[in-house]
Amino acid sequence: MEVTQAHDTHAHEEGEHSPRFYWTVGAVLAAITIAEVLITLIHIPHQILVPILLVMSVIKGAGVVMFFMHLRGDRPPYQFMFLIPFSLAVTFILFFLLLFSEHVGIAG
Amino acid sequence: MSASTTTHEAQDGHGPTAGHVTPAHLIGSMGVDSRKLGVWAFIGSEALFFAALITIYLIMAPVNMARADHQDPKEFLGIAFTSLLAAILLASSLTMVLALAANKRGDKRQFRIWHLATVALGFSFLGGQVYEFNKLLHEGVTLSSSLFGSSFFVLTGFHGTHVAIGAIWLLSTYFKVTKYPDSPENAMDIELAGLYWHFVDLVWVAIFTLIYLI
Repeated sequence: MEVTQAHDTHAHEEGEHSPRFYWTVGAVLAAITIAEVLITLIHIPHQILVPILLVMSVIKGAGVVMFFMHLRGDRPPYQFMFLIPFSLAVTFILFFLLLFSEHVGIAG
Repeated sequence: MSASTTTHEAQDGHGPTAGHVTPAHLIGSMGVDSRKLGVWAFIGSEALFFAALITIYLIMAPVNMARADHQDPKEFLGIAFTSLLAAILLASSLTMVLALAANKRGDKRQFRIWHLATVALGFSFLGGQVYEFNKLLHEGVTLSSSLFGSSFFVLTGFHGTHVAIGAIWLLSTYFKVTKYPDSPENAMDIELAGLYWHFVDLVWVAIFTLIYLI
């Protein structure tokens, strides 16, 4: 089997982070989770609460994908292989919710 | 496949395994590791799968409430306990990436600690989910009790199954890496198991917000 050891300083700089960085990302994600829970305890109108929670959730998800899954800075084929179906999945959810939101009877 | 192709992958590669040893026959036509590309494709398909389940839950939620035999999720789902489960899964993602970084540094002791911590947190999450399911069943929420019961158990049950598969995958990776510590493919093996594990956490981020908080 033919193998080659890589020695790439550029990749080392962009793709790797120190444990301290990961701890920081973890702390930020934990703080957002705590904020998410606390915000549900405050009596905020549903129309305001839902967008806030969705934005917080998107930030958390992006943090996991970019820094823990290292998609940020990874090679384009990997990014496309995930981002295309993921975008499709989000579009799929939004369109179906739009379709059924005012038509409970259709789903029922 | 020439050695130059393998070097190309290594030189262009980013991420935690950018400097790992890649067998030449595993470099595909796109110049990237086919195993990693395959796992990303699998994760992409899983995103669509969970999108379908989440959509069904969200569409069925108002239909459930409009029916005579409805069960109100707010009466049954406790945010406090589920927040603990979310914290456990989030912590497991952190320990997973720390295990990956430790392996990359060649720190085998740290790798063992963080990797096994990830597995332990995974099984803790599963234990918590079994407890939650058991509690719901005792309160009368079952797969067939209402639309809420059906869509909730299908969605969270499939997620739990994925967590179980991920924990077993991580455990098998740990034994493989421990048994063959000098294998050039260890870095990629750990990263692939980690990618799947982080995806499982990502799905829970969505479920936690859409099902439990909103």
